[in-house]
Amino acid sequence: MSAGIDLKGSFIDSLSDLGLPPGAATALWIPLPITLMILSATVGLLVTVWLERKVSAAAQQRIGPEYAGPLGVLQPVADGLKLVFKESITPAKTDPWLFTLGPILVVIPVFLSFLIVPFGQNLAITDLNVGIFLWISLSSIAPIGLLMSGYASNNKYSLLGGLRAAAQSISYEIPLALSVLAVVMMSNSLSTIDIVEQQAGYGILGWNVWRQPVGFIIFWIAALAECERLPFDLPEAEEELVAGYQTEYSGMKFGLFYIGSYVNLVLSALIVAIIYLGGWESPLPVGSLANWLGVSETSSWLQVIAASLGIVMTVLKAYLLVFIAVLLRWTVPRVRIDQLLNLGWKFLLPVSLVNLLLTAALKLAFPFAFGG
Amino acid sequence: MFKLLQQVGDYAKEAAQAAKFIGQGLSVTFDHMKRRPVTVQYPYEKLIPSERYRGRIHFEFDKCISCEVCVRVCPINLPVVDWEFDKAAKKKKLNHYSIDFGVCIFCGNCVEYCPTNCLSMTEEYELAAYDRHQLNYDSVALGRLPYKVTQDPMVTPLREFAYLPKGVDDPHDLPAGAQRAGRRPEEIVEEMSAKN
Repeated sequence: MSAGIDLKGSFIDSLSDLGLPPGAATALWIPLPITLMILSATVGLLVTVWLERKVSAAAQQRIGPEYAGPLGVLQPVADGLKLVFKESITPAKTDPWLFTLGPILVVIPVFLSFLIVPFGQNLAITDLNVGIFLWISLSSIAPIGLLMSGYASNNKYSLLGGLRAAAQSISYEIPLALSVLAVVMMSNSLSTIDIVEQQAGYGILGWNVWRQPVGFIIFWIAALAECERLPFDLPEAEEELVAGYQTEYSGMKFGLFYIGSYVNLVLSALIVAIIYLGGWESPLPVGSLANWLGVSETSSWLQVIAASLGIVMTVLKAYLLVFIAVLLRWTVPRVRIDQLLNLGWKFLLPVSLVNLLLTAALKLAFPFAFGG
Repeated sequence: MFKLLQQVGDYAKEAAQAAKFIGQGLSVTFDHMKRRPVTVQYPYEKLIPSERYRGRIHFEFDKCISCEVCVRVCPINLPVVDWEFDKAAKKKKLNHYSIDFGVCIFCGNCVEYCPTNCLSMTEEYELAAYDRHQLNYDSVALGRLPYKVTQDPMVTPLREFAYLPKGVDDPHDLPAGAQRAGRRPEEIVEEMSAKN
């Protein structure tokens, strides 16, 4: 594969041509992808909320939001605006600092993790060589925020909810990391871009799902548990408990938890798409298709098409996974805390360990197929 | 060793079975997405109440003979019948009659036992009020006729499920003369009289 579109390079070049020093041009470039990423994460959040409500409605033979904008697409915006205008109450005898810091600490790592999500060859904010590791370490900050907000609320339900959330996040982090490790071992790199590159070339057959089916399922289960999605949403369990660590929150602080959980869902879906479903690669390899049609791989229009196709593919795969998560929400009953921890420690952990060992063995035995 | 292997095998079998059941559940949920919504979009669409709907009670002042049967059959003696004996006419004269719909359970006993049929059930069910005392209907309020759903230009009337033609489960856009499944009561009467 060729280098593809270099947006950063051409942006800096065009500004340098206008007479700016290259350092200033680079400084101008830096905030652009960051704003773009925050914007796309926010839009992704709004789309996910809308999708969740619409798909839930369809699964229950309802209509769902309909009057706010065409097909109710503005409903999540309306929800968000409502939360912004609501009074933000800090109850008496809480720790105001921790109480405010908690939701912030939950949201920021999630948005930060978007740094490592690639939408194309050069369409990522950073190509860190520890990309996927950064995501894993960032995602273990969130339980601290949950615990903090649960403890600072000065409410026993909040404290218990926070403790449960932390226990859940910590116990599912391990199988998650182990199944990522198996993939990393196959692609010999922690960089998300390298992981996608390694799946390229054979279209749908080259994706990691076929080589890591067990890892894929474990990762998806653990990711759902990390996001506190329905089969594992017992820290908040809206039908049964008061809202766990969110009990005392209102207004935008509650909104931050809401944003955090949905952006985390999008992020997890994106990461699954990248690690297991070939990221921006389309089911039919574009490069070889172009070669077969006799189009040069370096022609600019092909690169533009390939880049936009890559973005569409990544988003499409991620939203397919979000759809499955929503469908799972209305299919699977909620587990109890003991079942949750049993599943995490007694099933997912040993299976992912075996999966890791098996991957290592297969890598030694068949280095051509499992990334020698 | 053999026992351990068997345990592992059983465990794997259970896991596979759980996965199968989750898959079946997912296919059920997915199938539901293809079905039409059953929503009645309330203020704009309303279901037509059935003939025997037990809604707000209607009362005809002039028919009432103040016998107080409605009070006696009422589980909580709810109707208030205020009458006095008119010595000249040697009859009871009704002054006021009221039923508190905040307390009424709409059992319909009063309607059933009223000897002069001055009580009847209407299809009105929108009794929301800002104050519970507003639910205490006096004889004037009880004498008002409800607004029919089918005559309201603001509302799309929808038939209830049992009143749809055979095989139809969507009340929207029915053809003009569509009849419900089965024979209507008047058709049965006609058949009976034709036989005799």
